[in-house]
Amino acid sequence: MTAGATSNGDSRALIRLENLSKRFPGQKQNAIDNLSLDIPEGEIVILVGPSGSGKTTTLRMINRLIEPTSGRIFLEGEDVTSVNGDKLRRRMGYVIQQIGLFPHMTIETNIATVPRMLGWDTKRIRTRVRELLDLVGMDPEVYAKRYPKELSGGQRQRVGVARALAADPPVLLMDEPFSAIDPITRARLQNEFLQLQTKIRKTIVFVTHDIDEAIKMGDRIAILDESSHVAQYDTPSTILAAPANAFVEDFIGAGASLKRLNLTHVADVHLLDWPTMPVSAERDSVRAALLRSDKGSVLLVDDARRPQRWVNAMDLEHGSIPLAESGLEAPVMQRTATLYDALNEMLNSLQGATAVVDENGAFCGVIDIETVAAAIRKMREEARLVYRGEGGSPREPALAGAERGGDGDVRGGSDFGGAAPGGGDDFGAAAAGGGDA
Amino acid sequence: MSDFREYLSYRRDHLLEQTLEHAQLVLYAIATATVVSVLIAVLVYRRERVAAVALAAVGALFTVPSLALFALMIPIFGLGFRPAFIALTVYALLPILRNTIVGLRSVDSAVIESAQGMGMNRLRRLVKIELPLAWPVIITGMRVSTVMTVGIAAIAAYINGPGLGGDMLEGLARIGAPVALHMVLASILLVVALALLFDLVYLALGKLTTPKGIT
Ligand SMILES: Nc1ncnc2c1ncn2[C@@H]1O[C@H](COP(=O)(O)OP(=O)(O)OP(=O)(O)O)[C@@H](O)[C@H]1O
Ligand SMILES: [Mg+2]
Repeated sequence: MTAGATSNGDSRALIRLENLSKRFPGQKQNAIDNLSLDIPEGEIVILVGPSGSGKTTTLRMINRLIEPTSGRIFLEGEDVTSVNGDKLRRRMGYVIQQIGLFPHMTIETNIATVPRMLGWDTKRIRTRVRELLDLVGMDPEVYAKRYPKELSGGQRQRVGVARALAADPPVLLMDEPFSAIDPITRARLQNEFLQLQTKIRKTIVFVTHDIDEAIKMGDRIAILDESSHVAQYDTPSTILAAPANAFVEDFIGAGASLKRLNLTHVADVHLLDWPTMPVSAERDSVRAALLRSDKGSVLLVDDARRPQRWVNAMDLEHGSIPLAESGLEAPVMQRTATLYDALNEMLNSLQGATAVVDENGAFCGVIDIETVAAAIRKMREEARLVYRGEGGSPREPALAGAERGGDGDVRGGSDFGGAAPGGGDDFGAAAAGGGDA
Repeated sequence: MSDFREYLSYRRDHLLEQTLEHAQLVLYAIATATVVSVLIAVLVYRRERVAAVALAAVGALFTVPSLALFALMIPIFGLGFRPAFIALTVYALLPILRNTIVGLRSVDSAVIESAQGMGMNRLRRLVKIELPLAWPVIITGMRVSTVMTVGIAAIAAYINGPGLGGDMLEGLARIGAPVALHMVLASILLVVALALLFDLVYLALGKLTTPKGIT
């Protein structure tokens, strides 16, 4: 049931929770009950679960803001269950939903908090603060001397992250860091944060109650049931393809396959060959190409092989219409888009297939509904297989590997519609991924 | 009226001296009361029950009529500056203590959590975060205490305390005599003026000392 709650040893567990329990005074039941979890180095591990499942309590036990009733906590192999809590916390960045910037201090002083406690010299602190502001996309010249109230919510959250990273701790603990922020800014912050993580490679424990955020942000997700019982601890793709039990299935909700489509990119699946002809070609040679092929249509492309029109035999009958205006317009899909985007495009355009293009806009194949469906089937099967045979076989399904392969940019692509099955309207959010003024 | 003006100019040095003594008594009392209140507040503000007890105790002292409190000082501290100073300090406690507790409690819990989460220990949190954030509320308590104490300090004259109360008492005792009314009026006027002046000074001080980010 709690498969994967401890690692298979392939990656080093930077944080290890061992039989952790917490009972609050005056309560009959454990708020956290016998939780064991390995957090691998350099990964984002998401704790996700319904309200009251103990996510926050778990997170706060890792930095010992809450002392466990029993069990042990290891950090970098060292038992930190009973070391000095304040010193321990200086080794872990901590970001909360309400951020908690110190309102009476400038942004610069806020960020300098931990370095100051660690006794860094002024010059080093100054340099570091500037570096961090740059890192989170805020101009030090503009913002260093400002006060928290002079920033937008999104900017405050960035400063919160910068402050947590100040002394370069190996660990970052984040409790619903983006929950209080409007959806568009949230998507932007998520993307920026993933981008940042490709640079900083911290070990991150990230609490959310939002499964979509979990899928988007997580290298691994721990789905917590009541009292922090681990219902499943796995990669997003495995959880989507093979939920361990009914609770997980419920939690993922309907449309698990749809969500999963965000994990795979058009470039990762097998594209169909399709007959193409230059849009300037003779009508007869197009007709001949159509006859040679087993497909019902031909794709007309321009000189740079950019898709122009879909034409079938009937279109070719109308001799009076020039080829460039025959048939149907050919919408295109970038190779970097996700299967989710592709499906969305097909449903919107009411065509069962769509042309895929590379960075230059040149045609590189066709993706159709069957390809998407087959990809879903394949993902499910592979994930199930790996999931059942977890003993010695490779831990991650092939597709999950592909997902991991491209690091930031792969997941960057999954931003589109990462949250809403509304797909289209998320483009704006992702496209606006720059900085906010 | 011109009589009164004459009186004022004739007794200028004396009145000025009395006023300064009065102000000094008040300032000593407030400074001491602030230190004591903040110390008590820091010890009790996180414990609901203990805080309630401390406030109740200080509140009880506050309700003792001032004349009675001054009288009570005599057997312990005798007459003069000392008992006056101590009685005034006791009076000044309540507003400052109450405001300090309120101020410390009203610090945003997220701010405290993040401070804690970064490994600030209690003392550091208190000094760097909680007291600075509570400061505007604390200084308001000091202001209330000060203005109030300026008035009560006049009564300290009953136990030979320094300040403007002396003239006031003397004038009242000799009312009907030539300058008695002038003595009373002048001291009342100066007490009021002193209270207003303190009020203004606190306003300015509050503005100057409140951290920029929380105004
Ligand atoms: N300080 C506390 N004293 C007593 N009980 C507590 C305390 N903190 C949390 N609990 C209880 O422990 C359980 C887990 O709480 P926790 O805050 O960890 O949940 P959560 O998963 O973070 O929920 P949410 O999604 O609502 O933030 C809850 O039943 C809560 O009432
Ligand atoms: Mg929580």
